Amino acid sequence: MLTDMIGQPLDYYLAVGLTHYLVVSAALFCMGVFVMSTKRNAIGILIGVELVLNAVNLNLVAFSRYHAHSRLDGQIMALFIIVLAAAGAAVGVAIAMNYYKNHSSIDVDRGAQLQG
Amino acid sequence: MSSYEIYLAVGVFVPLITFAFLAFFGHRLGKPLSGWAAVGGAFISLVLATITLIGWWGEVQSGTTAEMTANAARFHWADLGSIPATVGVKLDSLTVIMYFMVAFVSFWIFVFSIGYMSGHSDEIDGQCEYHRFFCFMSLFLFSMLGLVVASSLLFLFIFWELVGLCSYFLIGFYFDKKFASDAGIKAFVTNRVGDFGFLIGLMMVFFFLGTLDLDQAAVTFEKAAHLAGAAPVHDYSAFATQWLADNPELVGVVNEHAVTAAGLFTSPFTIFGAGLATIMGIGLFCGAIGKSAQFPLHVWLPDAMAGPTPVSALIHAATMVAAGVYLVARIFRLLTPEAQMFVAIIGCITLTITALIAIVQTDIKKVLAYSTLSQLGYMIFGLGVGAWIAALFHLMTHAFFKAMLFLGSGQVIEGCHHEQDIRNMGGLRKKMPFTCWTFFVGVLAIAGAGIPAVHFGLGGYFSKDEILAVAYERAYNWSGEGKRQEARGKREEATGNSTEMPAARAMLVSAAEHGHNHAAGGEHGHGHAAGHDGGHGDSPKLGIAAMVPKLPKWLFWLPIIIAYVTPFYMMRLWWLTFMGKPRNEEVYRHAHEIKLMYIPLVVLSVGTVFCSYLVFRPMLADAAPMAADAAVIVSIDGEAHHHSAQALSLTHEAGKDPHTALIGIVGFAYIVGMGLAWLIYRNGFEVSTKIRSLPVIRYVHTALEKKLYFDHLYEGFLVPAIQYVIAGICNLFDTYVIDLIANLSAKVTERFAAFSGRVLDARGIDGVVNGIADSAIDLGNAVRRPQTGLIRNYVLLAAGGAVVVVMGVLLVVW
Repeated sequence: MLTDMIGQPLDYYLAVGLTHYLVVSAALFCMGVFVMSTKRNAIGILIGVELVLNAVNLNLVAFSRYHAHSRLDGQIMALFIIVLAAAGAAVGVAIAMNYYKNHSSIDVDRGAQLQG
Repeated sequence: MSSYEIYLAVGVFVPLITFAFLAFFGHRLGKPLSGWAAVGGAFISLVLATITLIGWWGEVQSGTTAEMTANAARFHWADLGSIPATVGVKLDSLTVIMYFMVAFVSFWIFVFSIGYMSGHSDEIDGQCEYHRFFCFMSLFLFSMLGLVVASSLLFLFIFWELVGLCSYFLIGFYFDKKFASDAGIKAFVTNRVGDFGFLIGLMMVFFFLGTLDLDQAAVTFEKAAHLAGAAPVHDYSAFATQWLADNPELVGVVNEHAVTAAGLFTSPFTIFGAGLATIMGIGLFCGAIGKSAQFPLHVWLPDAMAGPTPVSALIHAATMVAAGVYLVARIFRLLTPEAQMFVAIIGCITLTITALIAIVQTDIKKVLAYSTLSQLGYMIFGLGVGAWIAALFHLMTHAFFKAMLFLGSGQVIEGCHHEQDIRNMGGLRKKMPFTCWTFFVGVLAIAGAGIPAVHFGLGGYFSKDEILAVAYERAYNWSGEGKRQEARGKREEATGNSTEMPAARAMLVSAAEHGHNHAAGGEHGHGHAAGHDGGHGDSPKLGIAAMVPKLPKWLFWLPIIIAYVTPFYMMRLWWLTFMGKPRNEEVYRHAHEIKLMYIPLVVLSVGTVFCSYLVFRPMLADAAPMAADAAVIVSIDGEAHHHSAQALSLTHEAGKDPHTALIGIVGFAYIVGMGLAWLIYRNGFEVSTKIRSLPVIRYVHTALEKKLYFDHLYEGFLVPAIQYVIAGICNLFDTYVIDLIANLSAKVTERFAAFSGRVLDARGIDGVVNGIADSAIDLGNAVRRPQTGLIRNYVLLAAGGAVVVVMGVLLVVW
């Protein structure tokens, strides 16, 4: 599959297709992961999570558009994920607030009490 | 298979059903009802026995009994190795009459028991045990009837043991009382001693004769005697000839086993001069010694009086103790002359010593117990001298009058509120007239009262005197010695062995098949055929021609003397109990008679007076030819015959009425004995106390009072000695065998434990367990490390993991 991408005419690379979406999605995903793994700020981590989720959404929508032949499964799944992400963000923020109450900080590295 | 067999078989099992019923539901039926249930069961048996008896009586008249006996069915039950064990009804006159006697006496004793038990405590440890009594009585009836009909020694033995067990249960009925349970154990253990011999005999029969069927064993035995040359004339008895003709399919088997069985006669093995054949007979007889309480195992019977009186009447007087006599009658054809002599001597010793002991006993039941022993001694003695008919006839008459006497004593004991000592009685005739006079009938019967000239008498007058008449014939008119020598010579010739064999294994002359006893019988109008067709002829067959030796004189005179003692002690008992003045006012005042209890007394006394001679004697004479090779038969008119007299050239004067022959000796023994007792005891114990204090008599009296020290001998010497020996052997066995085994096994166990503990446990089991635990810890430590608690690490690991997965997938896809 990847080998198909090499040595194609320029049009092939410029015409927006599935690959472009996937590349963007992958970039978003990587950024999300990077944010999650580097940030010590809980809010920052939540933002990273959002990035990852949206990368996934993008993937779903793109695959739905290019492979599902007018079926809307991917889009609907994406909508679900958006809703769940919102809910997740709300829960995450609530956790962050409680975390702050207990630790007077939102530095997640300090929340390692359960570590064995 | 005739209907008689079915009647008899059904009659055997009805009491078993009653037993089972009472065992499970008896406690719900309660006090009088469960007793009546048992009576019902016994009644059915009695009805069947009566039907059979009446039918059989017709067969006897028409002379078809031999045919019936031959056609009796045998069913294959099991295989003992290669030898089939058969089950069937031994159908002959003896069975029928014995069966009837057992059923009849049992029925009336059951009825009596209801009255007796109503006045007795039936509680043991606060639990009502009334039904248990009738339960075991029913079981006893079943066992006894089974014993009577058993056609094979195996079944005879099984029922034999069952009877002993019931006896044990019933003697120890009041098992909360020490003496009763002790007496039960004593009876049981003493019987075991006898049964040990019985078992040895049984095994010898099984091994040598290759069968346990009574008839087949007898025929095989006879054939073996011929093969071994133990019998001088090579001809078979009518019984054997007939049997072989009736059972052609068994001829081969018999011939085959006769070869083995010949070893009984030819084996050089002896014990005190008795060869194997004799030992076999004596072994079987040992069972009878135990069960019929013969010397030296007689000690259990007087103690057995600890049971309730109906039990004493039924088991220890009328039926069970007669089983031993019945056994000897059944195995009569398996007894060699030596074995018969042994039987006669044992019987003679028993009847002598027990009659003497009976003179001084003061317990009413003990006197009766010893008189029972003495009478059983007469029966055994009678069988030993070859008076087959007379002995069994005595068994029948004795069953009736002894049951009656015991029931009478039960009535007295019950009426006097458990007073058993005749020293406290006297004058009871006014309070219990029925008991008194029925008891007197019994006394007359056991004393052998009768009027010789007119041929009238009670029970013992016919039966006991007939035994004595046969003994007289054997002691004075018998010359068997010559033929005995001849038999010995013949055998030595046959075996080519000139050394003196320990004993001539000669067999009884088959007497019964010679028909010449019946002319006289016909003349006297009794008209029954006492013999069988096979026997009629001018040249009578000798059967196993063999010799019974002449009887030593003392074997005749001792029973004669005791015939005087018997009326003496019975009269003493009766007079002291019922006549004279009351010696204990207290007992006398409370004495009373119970209605239900004297009906059986009256019935049995009527039976004693009329039944025995008219019915039993002819029927036994009918059974004799097939059941025994009796040497002497006193036919129905009282004439003595040696049936084989002619053939054996016996110096014998034919035609002796036992009562005319013996009139000078025992004809009026009962008058003398009873008169003497009356003279001594008419005023209570006054005279006897004086006699007792005479110098020599004093010691004799003490010795007799102590029962000739048999119990002391057994308890003081024999039992401790045996215990000592057994204890010593056990000790040695313990020390050198058990301990050795124990120590060895302990060592082995210790070693094994060490191995298992140190190696298997410590290294094996513990190693596995600890290894699992340790590896779990190691694993835990290993997987703990990535758990840093830092989210970034988790994310990285997740991402890294994802990358790895994707790379892996890609690799696979490529």
